[in-house]
Amino acid sequence: MERIKTGIAGFDDMLQGGFLLHSANLIEGAPGIGKSTFGMQFIYNGITLYNQPGVILTFEEFAQQYYDDAASFGWDLRALEKADRLRVIMTSPEVSHADLARVDGRLQATLNEIGAARILVDSLSHFDRLSDDPVTRRGILYSFINSLKREGLTSVLTRESPALIGEIEGPEEDVAFVADSYILLRYVEIESAIRKAVLVLKLRGSDHAKDIRQFEITRHGIEVQAKFEGREGIMSGSPRRMADSFVEAFVRR
Amino acid sequence: MNDESENFQEWNPPARRRTTLPGGADLARRLMDDMDPEILEFLKTTVNTFVKWDLVLFFYENSNTTDTADNIARYIGRDAGAIQSELDELVSAGVLVRDRAADLVVYALTRDAQVRERIRHFVSASDDRQFRVKAIYHLIRGSR
Repeated sequence: MERIKTGIAGFDDMLQGGFLLHSANLIEGAPGIGKSTFGMQFIYNGITLYNQPGVILTFEEFAQQYYDDAASFGWDLRALEKADRLRVIMTSPEVSHADLARVDGRLQATLNEIGAARILVDSLSHFDRLSDDPVTRRGILYSFINSLKREGLTSVLTRESPALIGEIEGPEEDVAFVADSYILLRYVEIESAIRKAVLVLKLRGSDHAKDIRQFEITRHGIEVQAKFEGREGIMSGSPRRMADSFVEAFVRR
Repeated sequence: MNDESENFQEWNPPARRRTTLPGGADLARRLMDDMDPEILEFLKTTVNTFVKWDLVLFFYENSNTTDTADNIARYIGRDAGAIQSELDELVSAGVLVRDRAADLVVYALTRDAQVRERIRHFVSASDDRQFRVKAIYHLIRGSR
């Protein structure tokens, strides 16, 4: 199976080499944890390392915000746009969905214009306002994601999880159904410090790392590091030392 | 005529009323004289309201945006009712294009390279405070 590398240090190893070609990949996490940075890095690396032009489709931030955020990592998105390797498109979910559904839509023309192979959709949460009915919403998402695949795109779809830290609900039915992979980014508290964790919950049609790894946002972007050693309950947001758990479970009885 | 309007006439007799700022037409001419004629023409005929200025700036900075009037209004912090006619006038002026996506009417920046260059020229000039003062003065006069 052909792999699409993210180029994010340590992350492609978790995916056994990268995302699957033409797959839809959901990145979920709390506000500010690095979902958009992850997506931008996927796009930027695609263009600069793998010669795969990309599109950033934003339903929230102005294009300028991406230029500024990317510049802090040394990524010149404006230059890539000028070179017709990138397009940053601010629009709404209803328009992008309707536009992709028609023949010869504007978005399709833009994708063809630069030969886009990757897309960041930031964020999928905005589709929630299109319908209160989960069945209708699932249908819209299914159609939207399939239209991205039809256009030959490998996508990163971000989605906010409301909880900053602590237990969160499992993946929502609609998103879990449509995404090919499901990546969770989490804040965790260890010894009075907040760290960041990444977990691959699902990668359809492929094996993947099952461990929970630390990551940091450095001046070069996201870097995935070693797994959390000697701790459990990482995804609860407040991990404990495994030795403490052992004592609690067996000694204190 | 009631007392109130008589009082107003006394306070603001016709001789005291101005239709232009101090200096009148002369000041306006002086302010516009050193403006690039192409930009001045663009200001007079195309970006002739503050809402259009906001819209042109928005589409310049988000040149790939395609969206409905309601969403564009939200992006620039204006009321949808206030921008509908302005969007349509910018379409007539060739700055924007109107399209349909299913049952939605959407607006996008024209792909015409000459128009895009004119917009770039205008926005670049807007970076200068002196230019902005002159342009704002022009728009205020035009709105009377």
